Amino acid sequence: MASDDSLPTLKILLIGPSGAGKSALLTRYCDDEFDPESSTATIGIDFKIKKLAVRGKAYRLTLFDTAGQERFRTLSTSFYRGAHGVLLVYDISSRASFLTMERWFDEAEANTVEGIALYLVGAKLDKAESSREVSPEEGQALADAHGARFCEASAKTRVNVRRPFVDIVDQIVQTLGLLSGAGRTPGTVAVSGGGGGGYLSSCPC
Amino acid sequence: MDSLGDTLWDVVICGTGLQQSLLALSLSRSSKSILHIDPNNYYGGADAAFSLQEAESWASSIAAGTDNDRGTFKSASTTKPDGNTGLSFPRAYSLALSPQLIHARSKLLSQLVSSRAYRQVEFLAVGSFFIFKPSTSSGQKPSLVRIPSTREDVFSTTAIPTKAKRGLMKFLKFVLNYDSEQRLATWQPYADGPLTDFLQWEFKMDAELQTYILTLTLSLDGLITTRDGLSTIYRHLTSMGVFGPGFAAVYPKWGGISEIAQVACRAGAVGGAVYMLATGIQEIETSGDNIELRLTSGDKVKTRLLVRNDENAEVGNGVSRLAAVVGSPLKPLFEALVEGAPLPAVAVISFPAGSLLTTAGKAYGYPVYVFAHSSDTGECPVGQSVLYLTTLTTPDSKEILTQSLQLLSEVIDADHLPPSLFQLYHEHGRGSVASRPDGSTFNFPDASLSLLFDDSTLEPVHEAWKQVMGETAVDTDYMTFPDREGIMDVEDMYD
Repeated sequence: MASDDSLPTLKILLIGPSGAGKSALLTRYCDDEFDPESSTATIGIDFKIKKLAVRGKAYRLTLFDTAGQERFRTLSTSFYRGAHGVLLVYDISSRASFLTMERWFDEAEANTVEGIALYLVGAKLDKAESSREVSPEEGQALADAHGARFCEASAKTRVNVRRPFVDIVDQIVQTLGLLSGAGRTPGTVAVSGGGGGGYLSSCPC
Repeated sequence: MDSLGDTLWDVVICGTGLQQSLLALSLSRSSKSILHIDPNNYYGGADAAFSLQEAESWASSIAAGTDNDRGTFKSASTTKPDGNTGLSFPRAYSLALSPQLIHARSKLLSQLVSSRAYRQVEFLAVGSFFIFKPSTSSGQKPSLVRIPSTREDVFSTTAIPTKAKRGLMKFLKFVLNYDSEQRLATWQPYADGPLTDFLQWEFKMDAELQTYILTLTLSLDGLITTRDGLSTIYRHLTSMGVFGPGFAAVYPKWGGISEIAQVACRAGAVGGAVYMLATGIQEIETSGDNIELRLTSGDKVKTRLLVRNDENAEVGNGVSRLAAVVGSPLKPLFEALVEGAPLPAVAVISFPAGSLLTTAGKAYGYPVYVFAHSSDTGECPVGQSVLYLTTLTTPDSKEILTQSLQLLSEVIDADHLPPSLFQLYHEHGRGSVASRPDGSTFNFPDASLSLLFDDSTLEPVHEAWKQVMGETAVDTDYMTFPDREGIMDVEDMYD
């Protein structure tokens, strides 16, 4: 088995309005944990790493949450750099949440490379019986309009938790050029090492 | 979710320029409550990077006097030729307002590494430095001469006469030990005079060789003192090869310092800071030990400390800058000259003082510096480049920059001039240079105009950090953090 570092790394973002359930989805997927009490903004998590094999090939996923910068819509352009795929998450029990998604699609499309993998997730599917405000058809129609795939999921009941991640990775690796077109540039300089050098270092005098 | 007014904030940071953003990064592992706002609707303040559309709207807001940073920016304008010129879509560009090169030995880089923020920034190599040589009366065409970057380079170049080479090598060796007691005695008498005097009298360098050395300092007025000049050259020489062969400085991809500011703010957000853009301070009131702020968003917030940019008016002559997108990859400028060196994405070209003529026919007294950025910087699409021209602001500076651009086009590509597809011109005044802590507010100095990142920029950030942390400040913890992410060692197979 190849070591972690040699695996192709995919950068995947989770965006969407506050309280949509992005972190719950991420935590359930990565740690299989769910905290029904947690409703506060996400603190202390920069990104999570998960290994995933799709079609017999392993990938290293780096999954980036919005770190609360979705609240006043202050995500920076640098956040989007090098992303291979974006999961756009809303809450099916909140129409207000769904209504912001058009703007989130616009922002994602404006800040990423063309043809990037987009995936719309209707979260909190466990609330479908009691308080659904957005039909799956509406979700599907919005996704179709942006060339995105779509599913509904619940971090609480685990339904479809893996599906958006697996599907978007599948979509990324199947899209010609996306894997090489995004991500870090070869030929960049590693600034964490260093220590050698000097103008005259080869000079014995 | 709590409303902003319910919290007594430990600090409100206003502005997302490099210093404020680094402060947010430095506090990102503390338990301090932080509200970070910026009157602009973009990150980076004076170091911002813009798409073409953003550049146009920024320039017109400066012209109309509505931009929040207008205190130090003026005379901004954009131009592009009519019709289909080959420009790509606006977001394919990221034009830096104040591009700066960062020496490999800069403390900024070591702080980004120790704070773990560097992982989100891509750094590119800065390659060759060139000097522009004007046409001569004897019919010599204008040309670019590369400044030798290694010892072997010095020996093999034909641009420098053998005798001069000896002087150059002697100087370079001198610099590497310039702060030793013996050498101090040599340069001390020249310390506060211009570096060029020292080069002339102690190393017998002619005017041309002096410009080689001067160019490495990127001194805006060409009058850098011997003290500062030696320190900058020392930094340059000792930075050479630190992160790989053949280069001494790096440039952050996608727009320079702006990228570092954004990554630092993200680290702040991950640490729990609340971010608001397009939100400034309307009113400040002191109540007891705290400050009450009314924000332009209408929110009223209370804080123990306010950190912001100094709002003092301009105190000196600033710089004029012209950013030009050109429709050519300018390949000859971006060659790796040492084996194993990364392909450079940035080249530097200097028009030494006196090499350009004003419209009145007078020799222009200041140098013009050009940063050429290849498409590897992500600042323009493949097949194009961005040229950033900078000189001190004078009544002639705009005309001089336009002339430099024209001359450069002719030199680099004499057969078919790379047409300039887009231009952003602006003037940036010099603001106050000292930070001013004052009880419950802390004022950062205005953004540096330097073309080389100056480590002294980092000192006020450290000072502000101490003021926020108070008695709990442990200096050895400053900007030193463990990695955030935990490796999830779970195999998840799917076919």
